[in-house]
Amino acid sequence: MSKKRNIAATLGTLPMYLFTIVFVLGPLFLMLALSFFQVDGWSYKAVFTLENYISAFSGTYLQTLTTSLKLALISTVFVILLGYPFGLCTSFLSPRMQKFIMTSQMIPYWVNSLLRLYGWIIIFRANGLLDKILMGLRITDEPLKLLYTYPAVVVGMIYVLIPFMFASVYQVAGRLDYSLIEAARDLGASRTKAFLSVTLPLTLPGLKTGIVHTFIPSMGLFFIADILGGNKIVLTGSLINDLLTKAHNQPLAAALATILMALTGAICILLLRKPEHERQ
Amino acid sequence: MKKQHFKRILALVLTALLLSSALILTGCGEKGDRTLNLFTWAGMFPDELLRDFEKETGITVNYISFDTDETMLQKLQVAEGGDYDLIIADDYIIEVAIKEGLVQKLNKKKLPSIDNVNPLYQGQFYDPTDEYTVPFGAGVQTIVYNPAKVDIDITGYADLWDPALKGKLGIISNYRVINGMALKTFGYSYNTTDIYEINRAGARLTELAPNIRLIKDDNIQDDLLSGEIDAAIMYTSQVTLAKMTDPSLEIVFPKEGIGFGIMGMFVPVNAPDSSAAHEFIEYVLDPERGATCFEWLGYYCTFAASEEHISEDFRSFLTLPDEFNKEDMEMIQNVTAEAEQAHLTNWTMFRSKCK
Amino acid sequence: MKDNKLHIIRKKRGFFKVIYPILMTVLTYLPILMVVIYSFNGSRISSVWSGFSLKWYSQLFRDDAIFEALGNSLILALASSLIAAVIATSAALFIGRAKLPFKWAVEKMSLAPLIIPEIILGMVFLAFFSLLGLPFGMISLIIAHTAFCIPYVYNQVKARLEVMDNTAVEAARDLGASPMKAFLTVTLPMLMPAIVSGMFLSFAMSFDDVIISIFVTGVDVNTLPIIVYTSLKTGVTPKINAICTLMLGVTVICYVIAGIIGRKTKDKK
Repeated sequence: MSKKRNIAATLGTLPMYLFTIVFVLGPLFLMLALSFFQVDGWSYKAVFTLENYISAFSGTYLQTLTTSLKLALISTVFVILLGYPFGLCTSFLSPRMQKFIMTSQMIPYWVNSLLRLYGWIIIFRANGLLDKILMGLRITDEPLKLLYTYPAVVVGMIYVLIPFMFASVYQVAGRLDYSLIEAARDLGASRTKAFLSVTLPLTLPGLKTGIVHTFIPSMGLFFIADILGGNKIVLTGSLINDLLTKAHNQPLAAALATILMALTGAICILLLRKPEHERQ
Repeated sequence: MKKQHFKRILALVLTALLLSSALILTGCGEKGDRTLNLFTWAGMFPDELLRDFEKETGITVNYISFDTDETMLQKLQVAEGGDYDLIIADDYIIEVAIKEGLVQKLNKKKLPSIDNVNPLYQGQFYDPTDEYTVPFGAGVQTIVYNPAKVDIDITGYADLWDPALKGKLGIISNYRVINGMALKTFGYSYNTTDIYEINRAGARLTELAPNIRLIKDDNIQDDLLSGEIDAAIMYTSQVTLAKMTDPSLEIVFPKEGIGFGIMGMFVPVNAPDSSAAHEFIEYVLDPERGATCFEWLGYYCTFAASEEHISEDFRSFLTLPDEFNKEDMEMIQNVTAEAEQAHLTNWTMFRSKCK
Repeated sequence: MKDNKLHIIRKKRGFFKVIYPILMTVLTYLPILMVVIYSFNGSRISSVWSGFSLKWYSQLFRDDAIFEALGNSLILALASSLIAAVIATSAALFIGRAKLPFKWAVEKMSLAPLIIPEIILGMVFLAFFSLLGLPFGMISLIIAHTAFCIPYVYNQVKARLEVMDNTAVEAARDLGASPMKAFLTVTLPMLMPAIVSGMFLSFAMSFDDVIISIFVTGVDVNTLPIIVYTSLKTGVTPKINAICTLMLGVTVICYVIAGIIGRKTKDKK
């Protein structure tokens, strides 16, 4: 009986297992191999070299990794602070309101993300919408020139990433058993304590998924920084982009991508270490 | 209730799918037997011209757009010079494509109007004997500024370092052009492979960082027009758009020398229908149609025979100005891997210094 | 008296709970509003407003290629999110008991497409597919998209499984339901919100992807994001704003209709 179930389980896992091995590990292996190849004019030679990694760890290029990490961390923190309550509060609303908020979160996806970023440009532009509002309210006297600055980039990152946090938190929070919170409150727990001891632990899996889906892409997203930051914040992704579209150095690009992937992967494993122990 | 909600979403996706497929069915009617697979940047030709070509020849134009020359080359390499019938791309990448044997020689017999091409743009480094390409548009890097907001007189690249321009300058995101600008202030060539010269220019470039407000390739003219920046280095098509919207803008051809580039049309070696490609080139080479194309494109007209058909409004932008010293023009060419790497390192350092 | 005060505090908190999600929703639509407004701009240049015009819409309707690309994008997004949903859900359910070498390592690796910048992923996909001799077109697009869609579904389902109560399934089994029946009547409905939410995210990601698509598509298949992206590069044409506004309009209308139908069927019940 249990043997049969194991076979069924193996068969059920097999499609994703095989797909990952062929279509994810295959290309990844290619990337890894490429990162040890020698650049040769507009192409590369299959000659082993560590040169790419040596240049990748040189000061100028390594700096892009810290820049990426910093932006990813700042964005993730803001996304947690803004997105977690968003998902949680929505789950407290009446079913009709929940449906309304959910639906409104889905509609924007029909508008191309690049175009939505251009929408932010129009808002942030000198004498644009934001300046007009702030100047109308007499908060500032002159245009703020917010476009092509770091804060503009962070806003763009939050904007793109928050739906992932929202979806993950709401998805779990929607199944919360409110009687538990009520019980905690009835037993005299303060609001903070009830949140920390009941709500937070129960929504933690959603929060974690949300963090993974925020942090991981934020390490690789570079077009937001390029578009809203005026290309002045050099992220590793942007450097890889330059290497492929301008400097035609695929091996170095592959080496940088490998380092970026290792770094992001390591941070994610650290973040998710706990359930790993629980699982065993 | 929850379940119902999700079913509804699925229903929606399907609705949208049905809607669009209905649109497609009404959209594409009869298609010709022959297809021209045209591979280039988006928006290179006015829609009307492509439609007229389809009507007159019965060849359907399948317009496939790429984002960068480098992506195009990779796709062409994988296709082993097949799949595409006609490609329009930049000079330096054509040089690589020809060297890799991905381009076929043009059949001049099928191109009786080839003499319409302006000889100024022929015999260049990427195709010295003009066997493979027909030039289609040329451009130079130009300084444009708003004299109402810039107090200094800009005549060359060196003026851009002036502290009066602090936080006011926008530049295109092409390091061969921008590093080249710093090279020019020392009197070096754009195409130097001397690492010392490149690094000296790189160090000079980092001093420009405080003046930089914006680095971007696409639509930088918008930022000049909206007042986000007050001076910019831009491509010819962007200059045309900017100046036509705001005639008060000042255009400067830098006195230190000018880098220029040419776009070329070429037929891949294993093009499925190379005669369709020739028919299209011949169609565009027509003096009047050529003029229409360049007015649309905003780059310098590379067909001498078309110049007289360009309307007054456009003529000053699409033909090389008289004050332009042709001796100072230098094409930006491919350099050695070491030089390229040094350029990229300097460029990355420069970008990180910009705040 | 004391009770009353508590009541007020609770009410005040309730107020924030309602206002906050609404505020976030409004912010979500702010840039979209700009896109819609500028689709009616008479000028080709986005920084100049030269009056209300519908000319971009009339140009749009003469452009068959855009609608064909839209159709391709919808098919692609639907196919890859659907395949990802089936593969990932099944794996999330069974991986615990599966007997496969290095299964946890492979599970972790399935996340990789999210970490690697799209451009390099596109490049290695191009090289890898040509190595396999796979033809470039819809099939290669679906495979590449499925690769980055899987993690979205997998993680959502996994998170739901972690908080799911197993007693219902056990109860159904105790009552004599076959494993298949217990799965279909108990587990699957409980997982459905997670599957659909993961599917929606992957649909959205696929529908929006451009860099990977540019690399792995062939001569015959163009997608909407490719057109949008390459057009934005050579000049923002409000035609692109117009197609997005149109799609937004169609979507909103569909939601409203679905809402009305939904309410009617509920009333009948």
